[in-house]
Amino acid sequence: MNEPADQNIPAVELIDVSKTYEGTPPVKALSNISMSVSKGELIGIIGASGSGKSTLLHVIGTLTRPTGGSVFINGVETSGLTDQELSGIRSRYVGFIFQDFFLLPGFTAQENVENGLLYTNFPAADRNERAREILDRVGLSHRVNHLPNEMSGGEQQRVAVARALVHKPAFVLADEPTGNLDSKNTEGVLDLLIGLNSDGTTVILITHDQDVAEKCSRRVSFKDGKIDDSLSG
Amino acid sequence: MFKSSRPKANLPTSHLTLIDILKVSVSGLRTRKLRSALSALGITIGIAAVVGVLGLSASGNADLIRELDSLGTNLLTVEAGQGFRTEEATLPDGAAGMVLRITPVYEVSTVTRISGQVFRNDLIQDGKTKGITIFASDLNLLRSQRGSMKSGEFLNSMNSAYPVVVLGSVAAERLGIKNVADLKLLWIGEEWFSIVGIMNPLPLAADLDRAAIIGYGAAQEYFGHDGEVDTIYVRAYPEYVEDVRSVMAATVNPENPEEVQVSRASDVLEARAVANSTFTNLFMGLGAVALLVGGIGIANVMVIAVIERRGEIGLRRAIGATKFHIGIQFITESLILACIGGIMGIIVGMIVTTIYANTQGWYIVIPQSAIYIGIGSSILIGSVAGFYPAMRAANMSPTEALRSS
Ligand SMILES: Nc1ncnc2c1ncn2[C@@H]1O[C@H](COP(=O)(O)OP(=O)(O)OP(=O)(O)O)[C@@H](O)[C@H]1O
Ligand SMILES: [Mg+2]
Repeated sequence: MNEPADQNIPAVELIDVSKTYEGTPPVKALSNISMSVSKGELIGIIGASGSGKSTLLHVIGTLTRPTGGSVFINGVETSGLTDQELSGIRSRYVGFIFQDFFLLPGFTAQENVENGLLYTNFPAADRNERAREILDRVGLSHRVNHLPNEMSGGEQQRVAVARALVHKPAFVLADEPTGNLDSKNTEGVLDLLIGLNSDGTTVILITHDQDVAEKCSRRVSFKDGKIDDSLSG
Repeated sequence: MFKSSRPKANLPTSHLTLIDILKVSVSGLRTRKLRSALSALGITIGIAAVVGVLGLSASGNADLIRELDSLGTNLLTVEAGQGFRTEEATLPDGAAGMVLRITPVYEVSTVTRISGQVFRNDLIQDGKTKGITIFASDLNLLRSQRGSMKSGEFLNSMNSAYPVVVLGSVAAERLGIKNVADLKLLWIGEEWFSIVGIMNPLPLAADLDRAAIIGYGAAQEYFGHDGEVDTIYVRAYPEYVEDVRSVMAATVNPENPEEVQVSRASDVLEARAVANSTFTNLFMGLGAVALLVGGIGIANVMVIAVIERRGEIGLRRAIGATKFHIGIQFITESLILACIGGIMGIIVGMIVTTIYANTQGWYIVIPQSAIYIGIGSSILIGSVAGFYPAMRAANMSPTEALRSS
């Protein structure tokens, strides 16, 4: 009954968000950002190094609190939430993918993917099967028992993608997921994300690669912590 | 799905079951096996020292108690003490007979110091007496001391009037005699005495270990001893020992009871048990220092782990771990390290106790308290050592932890 209304609520909405890193001198990584991401969008974030892209992603993913403004995740204002509540949002609704993969060494591909369910209340007995399903979906069913250092960069990133998807997040935040990959692997990972998006998952993707940006339904360009409207759209 | 008007209570929450905490912590240690093992080693040494010391002192005291049981705590030693009179005090004539008349007394034995010297031969008399004293004794002595012979036999009614001698354990050693067959004769006073026996140590009368013991008959014959007595050993029924003790002085010497000294020989052995516990405290202190060092080692390894595993911490936060989940993971790792170290320490301590107690011929006693202390201090050390690193890990900023390297 509430479904139609839900569909109209933006997946993410930032109102006048700023983020200043303490220090001497303090760094204003984001200044007065307002933007809205609708459900099901595939957004490309572009901009020079140091322009605040990663900071934006961490703010959206509730990993860090903004120093000003409001962040709404699916209509819920996050500034009043506790660490536990923010962690709960991440565990259930957010899937992070990083340039450096951040697979845990000493854990097999499957165990790394299962870690994506560790802090949810997904039944422990079923994690195994779910992880295999997702690994199969990213084309790694032949690598389940391999350790990260036994896999190529492209394979490692696909394990990381599988980990970000294993709990069926509402949106995926990818910080230069193809930054360490060659063109062939870049293609593979992008196809995964685009496929995921066409299945209805909201995807926010940071990229330096113009070709990658072209594939997004919308681009937001950053410059010195602000949105550069001339290059966005 | 989110709803804008939803109360906070309906927000999703992060979970981490106890089993998952253990799994996560074990896997954290698994990837750093060598370092984990080395840092646990400090705790192993400390706990082994504590358990070993407690085990050894308990085993040693158990042995002492066993020795006391076999020697009996009901032996009173009655000696002529220094009285108010200037002349050297002796026990009055017939004192032994008086003592035997005290009802709970069932056995009496007497010895008397004889002045004279003991040599291996009559030619080299360089004045060195080797600290051996001559005692005249009755035939009851060995039995009243619950002593035993190392070699030969004690004095008996057939030979005690003749020049025969029984040596105490220390006296025999000083004379270089292990066996009655080693040397037939000793030059005592102005006469050759045949050696008929060597005693094992008498823990309740250590003086007699350094003695050459002859019969009263021989003492009279060769030293002109007039039959007076200066020490009486008294066995009384155990439950009346203190009663006997309280009437002893007046019984032995009604006129000058203050000249009589009465002591309970087993008190000395009991004092030894107390002295042992002083040593125990010293070694416990050393064990505690080892534990402190071990705890610092674990804290050190954990601090390094937190710095090295920034990426892991950031990632766990990104997949939904709360600060508490991160903290509890590192505390648990520290606890597991300390407990593995502690359990190894308990095992090593028990092995050390067993081996040492065996070489001493002791019963092996490992007090339960040693095991509780071992486990308790491991848990304490693990949580204290892990606390600061865990706080650092929990409060690490995820954005910094996830910065590209
Ligand atoms: N923890 C921090 N403390 C201080 N300054 C920071 C911190 N994290 C980021 N910054 C600064 O904030 C600015 C924005 O950083 P951010 O990582 O968001 O940029 P970015 O657009 O992702 O750059 P890149 O393309 O190189 O990844 C930079 O100037 C950076 O140096
Ligand atoms: Mg970045």
